[in-house]
Amino acid sequence: MKCKTVNSKLIFFLEKELKPAEMQAVQEHLDSCPDCALFAEEMKKTLSILETDKVDDVNPFFYTRVKAKLENPETQPVVVGRSLVLRVLQPIAFSVILLIGIYAGIKLGDAGSKSTGNSVLAEKELIPYWNQLDGEPIESFLME
Amino acid sequence: MSDHEIIEQLKQGNEQAFKRLIDNYQKLVVNTCYGMVRNREDAEDIAQDVFIEVYRSVQHFRADAKLSTWLYRIAVNRSLNHIRDNKKHKWFRSFEKEVEAKNRQLEELESSGSEHPEFELENKQRALILNEAINSLSENQRVAFTLSKYEDLSYQEIAQVMELSVSSVESLLFRAKKNLQKKLHTCYKKKCM
Repeated sequence: MKCKTVNSKLIFFLEKELKPAEMQAVQEHLDSCPDCALFAEEMKKTLSILETDKVDDVNPFFYTRVKAKLENPETQPVVVGRSLVLRVLQPIAFSVILLIGIYAGIKLGDAGSKSTGNSVLAEKELIPYWNQLDGEPIESFLME
Repeated sequence: MSDHEIIEQLKQGNEQAFKRLIDNYQKLVVNTCYGMVRNREDAEDIAQDVFIEVYRSVQHFRADAKLSTWLYRIAVNRSLNHIRDNKKHKWFRSFEKEVEAKNRQLEELESSGSEHPEFELENKQRALILNEAINSLSENQRVAFTLSKYEDLSYQEIAQVMELSVSSVESLLFRAKKNLQKKLHTCYKKKCM
């Protein structure tokens, strides 16, 4: 069995969930491959924490706290209010921001087109200095 | 007092029945919540809310399911809501607060005050790595894994809590273990354990 195959089956090997033939094959590989054996050992130690990680002791004041929370209903509606804000106001806020952005974009676009219009007019004012046909019609008469 | 009697008396608002319910099932609910949220204080807060919800909605409890199955379902749903809320708030938490939280974790690792500090430190580092790996699982995989490992429930019992088929639960647990292994292997390659 290759290291990659063994590594993919290791957690099931440690949980003893493999078929007997596969269990034996993995064991044989671990006996001969120190790297895989080391990883198996590390994984075993890490997973063993699950056994000791459980809550064993009981909080003696738990019932008192539950009673206090039950008798003080002001603590409960906060959660409901917050979920209402998230569900209703948040989409409204996003929609308003989107509309403001679109409006701002349209206004910027309009402002840009007005400035190009002004530049066209400015160009036309300069044209007479370049095009003297309007100022001197005799030339246009001769050309016709 | 049997579960049936506790429920009947709870429906009549009997305080003693409520205390008996909490005494019998506090460990179960807190352990389930802890397996999901990976924090003892948060698990206790959520567990308190679970019992309050039970008290307020006991009239709707149908006798076709076991009381423990109902408690598991409420505990799992509340824990998932807590995890989702935390994920949203994480985006808005400042970088400094994240660094503070990490430093606090490291201080707890260093100041355990036990007779074998290296052993304790190594164990706590492994616990952190395992927490990260479990946190990376999808919701359904995390629920199935928690109920299997922390509450030692059978596939049938997990299927009843999650309202899925047994084969779906088998598939979820298989994928959860595969993903955990992948995470741990990546961590091993990066020499973090």
